[in-house]
Amino acid sequence: MRVNPNPIPDLLAALNQSQLETQQASLEISSGRSVNQPSDNPTAFAELVENNDQATINNGYLQSIGTVQGQLSTADSTLSSVTSALQQALSLGVEAASGTLSASNQAAITVQLQGIQTQLVSEANTTYEGHYIFAGTATNTTPFVVDNTAPSGVRYVGNTDINQVSAGSGYKLSVNLPGSQLFSATGNDVFLAINNLIAAVQSNSGIGAAVNAVSTASSYLSAQRVFYGNAIDQAQSQTTYLTAAQLQITQQQSALGGADIALAATNLTQSETDTQATLAAISKMTQDNLFDYLK
Amino acid sequence: MSGLFGTLSIALSSLSVSQEEMAITGNNVANANTPGYSRQVADTAAGDPIAIGSISAGTGVVLQKIESLRDPILEIQLNQATAQNSQLNTALGQLQQLQTQFGSSTSGIGADISDFFNTLQQLSPDPSNLQLRQSVLTAAGNLATDFNTAANNLQTQRGNLDLNVVQSVSAVNTLTSQIAGVDQQIESLKNAGDDPSTLVDTQTNLIRQLSALVNVSVVPTDQGISVTTGNGTTLVSGSQSFALTTESSAGAQHIFSGSHDITGTLTGGSLAAVIQTRDQEIPSLGNSLDQLAAGLANGLNSANTTGTDLNGAPGGNIFAPPPPGGVGAAAALQVSITDPALIAASSDGSSGSNGNLAALAAVATTPLANGQTPIASYSSLVFQIGNATSNTSADADSSNLILQQLQDQRGSVSGVSLDQEASNLIQYQTAYQAAARVVSAVDSLLADAVNLGIDAAQQ
Repeated sequence: MRVNPNPIPDLLAALNQSQLETQQASLEISSGRSVNQPSDNPTAFAELVENNDQATINNGYLQSIGTVQGQLSTADSTLSSVTSALQQALSLGVEAASGTLSASNQAAITVQLQGIQTQLVSEANTTYEGHYIFAGTATNTTPFVVDNTAPSGVRYVGNTDINQVSAGSGYKLSVNLPGSQLFSATGNDVFLAINNLIAAVQSNSGIGAAVNAVSTASSYLSAQRVFYGNAIDQAQSQTTYLTAAQLQITQQQSALGGADIALAATNLTQSETDTQATLAAISKMTQDNLFDYLK
Repeated sequence: MSGLFGTLSIALSSLSVSQEEMAITGNNVANANTPGYSRQVADTAAGDPIAIGSISAGTGVVLQKIESLRDPILEIQLNQATAQNSQLNTALGQLQQLQTQFGSSTSGIGADISDFFNTLQQLSPDPSNLQLRQSVLTAAGNLATDFNTAANNLQTQRGNLDLNVVQSVSAVNTLTSQIAGVDQQIESLKNAGDDPSTLVDTQTNLIRQLSALVNVSVVPTDQGISVTTGNGTTLVSGSQSFALTTESSAGAQHIFSGSHDITGTLTGGSLAAVIQTRDQEIPSLGNSLDQLAAGLANGLNSANTTGTDLNGAPGGNIFAPPPPGGVGAAAALQVSITDPALIAASSDGSSGSNGNLAALAAVATTPLANGQTPIASYSSLVFQIGNATSNTSADADSSNLILQQLQDQRGSVSGVSLDQEASNLIQYQTAYQAAARVVSAVDSLLADAVNLGIDAAQQ
């Protein structure tokens, strides 16, 4: 059988192929990825698109939980401070109820109680990054305004709505309690109790009952504060969970599209060898024919 | 003829045939690298014998014809393989170009969608924060811009393909008129009884170039050859060629043979690939992008209207409403608000409520394009184009191998081997030298014969 006397095109095609393989192996090593475009592995590439979305969502949860934790901590420490102030008011009240104080001492206690009252209003109007945290969702308006016509001395102008923040797939955290629920709930109104205690000390009657009312309101407040403690714990454990999930997402990304460096390096060596061999073959092929020997 | 003069004429026939054979060898060697050249061989035969009494004597050698070695079946196979190869490689080039639009899994439209919904998530704990609201608008703007860019790039590629159709048809017309011209020359040579071999090679070459543009079948007829496309449109009949025309119809160049629109009937060659990409791949991709853009815009607009903005007013549209049916939605996608206060995050009218952000965020998990959620729809789109490119690449690779094999076969039949030509040259040279010897010998014998009478007369 007569062979094709011109083998050069075949050799050039082989050379082109081995050079192409060299390029692909080099790209894989330098980019660290085996899937650099959709046609490299269409299924894996499509999954990488989904994976990237998962990573963004997961990171998003982590970041917003961080913000929420700031709000919750501020609220929690404010309530701690309020509880301390109420404890102080209770001591003062008990002292005033003992009946052993002079009129001027009684007056001094009144002044101190009024100071605590002002502090409580200020605490109830705490802000976090410019927004009131005990106003429900009316966070741009001061929730508790001083109102001398009101029995408790203040009026709540916030609302009772609660904000929720997504902290995971199908998982939402409630992030606030309305000030009305914390400080001016019916039967547990902190402001009313303090106001009544001040009046009782001033008139020196009914101090015992007023002190009890303050104590009841204080216990109620402590119970409400548990919401914030729980929310902080939930945020923390969700952060731990999401951090582990993030690791899995990253590992999956690597499994889908990461380069197998050892394999790519082997391929690179192999294809470079092929290139050299083909070049040597081409140079040998173009050398002799019969005309060279006819002299 | 008998006698010495007979021998002389036999030797002369050998000399002239050897000369012609050496000329053929020279021609083969000269055309060793000519593309499409078919090597020629001398077809010699012994001259018709004459009868002298009861003896049948030879009359030397006759060159009957010069034969070009080519395999017609192989030529047909090569035409088909060339057409398919050209089609696949052209299609691959176009698909790879389309693919670059969607070449990263961590940036581009998909990542923009994820980033946009992330800005809503970050706004959620602090919904009246103007900076966070602005970042939502910025992310929406990036998304719109990337949709616009992708749609515009598709249009540009489509425009280039349109231009390509016109240019390819022009090239087809040039080739068909050249084929017809060569055919005329071949027919006149045949009628004069001459051998049209080299012209046939030229014509074969032209047909091969034509096959790269459009799939054709070639049939020899009484008037020459007939070249038709796959579905029977005649391009060349004998020495007459029929030009194709292009005409713009509904924003695309269509190909006409006379008054018939043959655009959709072309089956092979680069022209078929160009038309397929222009009329199928690109519109399909564009449609998917449009559905996704329209779905997102409509979904987010609708969710925004169920809430209240920072000024206490009911929410309006975030994006300009997409065109009806979504046609052109990707190119037209645009954020229509610049004031971050207009994002309707609130569900109860107060500025600190984030209740409506849940409705906006829910768009990410709503089936809104081809029955899929935004990211799933984008991921499908990317898979389609990647899969098409990958399959076409594999097909092109095997087509390249087939074409190479056929070319090797053609080379083994028609290719010039310098070794073979060199050995032929030695043969012909030796035969010439031997015949020249015969002439010398006869010459000297003739001299003796002429002098025979003189010697006898002198004695």
